[in-house]
Amino acid sequence: MSAKTEEALRAAVRDLADEARSAPELAGRALRRGRSLRRRRRVIAAGAALAAAAVLAGPFVWLRPDPPAGPARWAAPPGTATPSPTGPAAAPPPAPDWTRSPLALPGGWVLTGASSTGTPAELGYALDRSRGRYVTSRYEETWAAPRGGVAAVVDYERRGELGLLDLGTGKVRWVTVGSFIMTPHWSPDGRRLALTLMSKDSGAFSLGVLTVGTAEYRAFPVDGERYLCTDQCFFTWSRDGKEVALQQTDPGAALSESQPHPRRGVQFFAPDDGRPTRFLPVKGDPDGPWSWSPDGRSVVVKGPDGPRLTEVATGRTIGPAPATDAAWVADDRLLYRDRRANEMVLVDLDGRELTRQALPPALGADTTLAVAPR
Amino acid sequence: MAEVVDGEFTAFVHERGETLLRIAYALAGSQHGAEDLLQNALAKAYARWPRIRGDAEPYVKRILYHDQVSRWRRRSHRAEVSVAVLPERAAERDLGQDSDLRLLLRDALRQLPPRQRAVLILRYLEDLSVEETAAALGCRPGTVASQTSRALAKLRELVPALDELTTFQEVPR
Repeated sequence: MSAKTEEALRAAVRDLADEARSAPELAGRALRRGRSLRRRRRVIAAGAALAAAAVLAGPFVWLRPDPPAGPARWAAPPGTATPSPTGPAAAPPPAPDWTRSPLALPGGWVLTGASSTGTPAELGYALDRSRGRYVTSRYEETWAAPRGGVAAVVDYERRGELGLLDLGTGKVRWVTVGSFIMTPHWSPDGRRLALTLMSKDSGAFSLGVLTVGTAEYRAFPVDGERYLCTDQCFFTWSRDGKEVALQQTDPGAALSESQPHPRRGVQFFAPDDGRPTRFLPVKGDPDGPWSWSPDGRSVVVKGPDGPRLTEVATGRTIGPAPATDAAWVADDRLLYRDRRANEMVLVDLDGRELTRQALPPALGADTTLAVAPR
Repeated sequence: MAEVVDGEFTAFVHERGETLLRIAYALAGSQHGAEDLLQNALAKAYARWPRIRGDAEPYVKRILYHDQVSRWRRRSHRAEVSVAVLPERAAERDLGQDSDLRLLLRDALRQLPPRQRAVLILRYLEDLSVEETAAALGCRPGTVASQTSRALAKLRELVPALDELTTFQEVPR
């Protein structure tokens, strides 16, 4: 960047900052909010008694003890889906007290949770399958597992740690996992979490695997030269949960920082020891285990120009997909979130809408949803 | 004890509040957003004042930037929202009119994704190096460089006159 450009940029940034007007009562208002925050922490630190009361009050509410992702996440559809000739069947909207029972989704799936990302944290939700209701949490991120009784929680004031929230007791076990980026990804069986670790010094990636049952945590460095990944990089699980995948940058392609980096394929690793296992010529970023079709022949990826459906064996693009995080619920059915309508939509591979299910208004466009087979 | 904490905290906000508000405004792009961002960060600082009192300003700044990046993470899962009214393009403008360019650039800055804007603010408002910016945002220097480069590409798209200031040179990763 030239000195003139830098100078113009510096001046513009300062101009922008200079637009700020004095805020009256800044200290007083911050004091009040700070006291409220501190009170909440103290109350919550009292812990078990309040938690017990919350259990009785239902829906279960686990507030953060000190200071909220998952298997599949949803994005706005690009508008490729078209209504079927008879129009999609509309499932009844969820009741106001929707947290008291599992929210069934089209295709025989269920909403397992929703996460806020950012602060102030909005309520996060995780399905407690044993009780058949949703637990809420106030952590900045709450990543519900596809199965099991634990959700992963992230507290922005506990850097390098990941919390395992027991949905039955509300207790959080904090595990030191190091500096991870992006979001934790649950294995399809809900027993393990894959984290993408990045060294601030070298920029090298490592695969972090946390086993929930034992809280055992292991990190496996990845050979960054052999398995090059630039732009957005994150480990995701295969549909059978036996491997994790990392998207691979095409080293021969021209890279532009204003465009997603071209991919040459996806490299898989063994979650038990980090060993590289196989490579697939899938030129895009899979979002999670549900991105892969049950028969293993197709995958939905985020391509350079949007969500696309790709043939696994050859990497050939079959066509556009409704969303980068659309989930395969069957070999010929995809489920995705229509963010504008705040509905879940079941489509066939021709893009025909089959069923729509309204989502609770509490799950606004800023929340990230997790879904799984019922 | 509580009175001491309140007194120290209030004095800190009186002394540094304006500076922090400028940063928050540049990050949020609006008065309301800036006040909300800053109030949130100050509240967190107050809640743990005894532990951060000697390091309060860097702490508040970290919260400001962290929250801003968090918003970017949340938005990264959403469809891109188009801007109803594009900013005036400056291609035909006289480049000697620096104030016009600054005005256009200022408006274009508001349209950058929060993370890109955060990087530019750390670099050009706070005058931090790439490495210092990476440390503040909790990412690697390469990410700072790539975000800077993306931000510049977007600014050039929005304000073509920026291109005419210099020969294009990509920021290396």
